Amino acid sequence: MNPTEPRSGPGALSEQRGFVSTQPATVSNSSQERQQALLQVDHLESGYDETRVLWDVSLEVRRGELVALIGANGAGKSTLLATLSGLLPAWTGYIRFAGHDITHRRAEEIVRLGLSHVPQGRRLFSALTVEENLLLGAYTRRAGSQQAIKQELEEVYALLPKLRERRRQLAGSLSGGEQQMCAIGRGLMSHPELLLIDELSLGLAPQVVDDLLNALDVIHREKGLSLLLVEQDVQIALERADRAYVLENGHIVLEGTGHELLQNERVRTAYLGA
Amino acid sequence: MLVLAVRSLPVRRLPFHREVSAMLIAQVIVNWLLLGSLYAAVALGFSLVWGIMNIVNLAHGAFILVGAYTAYWAFTQLHIDPFLGLPLTMLLLFCLGWVVQYVAINRVIRAPFLVTFLLTFGLDLLIADVVQLLFTSDRRSINTAYSGFGLTLGTLHIPFDRLLAALIAVLLTAALSLFLQRTRTGNAILATGMDRDAARLMGIRIDRIYALTFGLGAALAGAAGAMLVELYPFDPSQGGVFTLRAFVIVVLGGLGTPWGALAGGLVFGLAETVVPLLPGIGPGYDDAIAFALMVLVLIFRPRGILGKAFYA
Repeated sequence: MNPTEPRSGPGALSEQRGFVSTQPATVSNSSQERQQALLQVDHLESGYDETRVLWDVSLEVRRGELVALIGANGAGKSTLLATLSGLLPAWTGYIRFAGHDITHRRAEEIVRLGLSHVPQGRRLFSALTVEENLLLGAYTRRAGSQQAIKQELEEVYALLPKLRERRRQLAGSLSGGEQQMCAIGRGLMSHPELLLIDELSLGLAPQVVDDLLNALDVIHREKGLSLLLVEQDVQIALERADRAYVLENGHIVLEGTGHELLQNERVRTAYLGA
Repeated sequence: MLVLAVRSLPVRRLPFHREVSAMLIAQVIVNWLLLGSLYAAVALGFSLVWGIMNIVNLAHGAFILVGAYTAYWAFTQLHIDPFLGLPLTMLLLFCLGWVVQYVAINRVIRAPFLVTFLLTFGLDLLIADVVQLLFTSDRRSINTAYSGFGLTLGTLHIPFDRLLAALIAVLLTAALSLFLQRTRTGNAILATGMDRDAARLMGIRIDRIYALTFGLGAALAGAAGAMLVELYPFDPSQGGVFTLRAFVIVVLGGLGTPWGALAGGLVFGLAETVVPLLPGIGPGYDDAIAFALMVLVLIFRPRGILGKAFYA
């Protein structure tokens, strides 16, 4: 990857780069960083059928980081996550996860490597019970690991106690917040190293969002789980994130720490209404 | 129209009605339950494949045919009783279904309905013609040592082979339901049917799940065929009839649960056993009645009697 290559395209904010750098680190740092990077995305392009959605997207998530991805509707956030988890094929570029080249791997294989995707709209198996949904989350576990699966289930119930109450209920009968809990719990059941969450707070009451974020905080801090969070509530996302990326029209236009971006004039006017 | 006639005629013809003895009514009900359960077996695999893979498998009747002729061949050549040979027939059909799925169906799994229609229709012709080539178009039937024997209670007669077939059909329905609901693989099949992308995110290999589902569908069709050939004379032209019946039964009973096939089978059986005996109706209307029922179900309860909102 050429560190001097400019990122360009509509919406790119070159004047901002002095303040919040979108450039990769210098060569000497980059080899160190790459060792730490759990997820490394280089010059990724992707889309649906004939329609290109992502243009030259590069980003990384280091071990133990909470990274937020923000951007307007249609910017390509969900497309990016779907490409990372293998639901959509990458057109060009390179995706590396936990030492594996996953650019052209299928979703079924990628989840086995420890990358779990909680898709937009929850996508629960609505005619199955909460517990059956959670157990399907552990589908990648070997048949012999009943004990480990049971323990994982207990941990998810401890983290999200509402799910234990609802375990025999059909997933389709849950409230929106409970469904999101179930989807996150299901995503955790594969014991991932990196959890991708698409639109955590969409359509949920503030109190429910707080509960979910607190639960995520617990696993993020205590278990060291890395998170890539797509979030339309920019304030919430940037307050919690170690680092964040701004996606516009399929391009990464800004990156920086959560606090840097919260201060950023462009982010404040475009996403925070300030 | 026909159903309206059914409702109004018995009232007018009350004197006839009194002649029908209690035993006759009991016999009709027994016949109905036996036939209806057998029809559940005919539709079970069709329902599974439709519900999970969203494929209306027009080759279903061809699989029933292969099952029937496998049982016939095993009986005449190897002297294996069709009921005892059922696991063998099902295994063979499972392998056939698995291969057909992997080689052919997998290529059109996301294609529009018309493409899968054409493909499975072609498969139906191909398989039925191969069967005809191997066995000629003569009518075949199996006569076991216990054919014609049965339980007799007064004038009530329950043939052994029909009873056994009905019991096996109910057993297969229950087994399929338990398998889908209670096992990890069964849940993976249901999950794939509900949301294939979400299933992939769970690490479920959906190509394998589809092959397994289609194999199971074929195995269940094979079981139905093996039981049918024991009860009725069979020839290679009958595959299409059973595809059509399976379709009506599944629409009547509803997708999403194996019990829907049983409910649909019982309703379909009603049209063939009970309704023709009602005064003023007579035999020969069974298909018309079944389709009239199907239209009514589509109007008043489009998801079928027991159908679940599967793709929520």
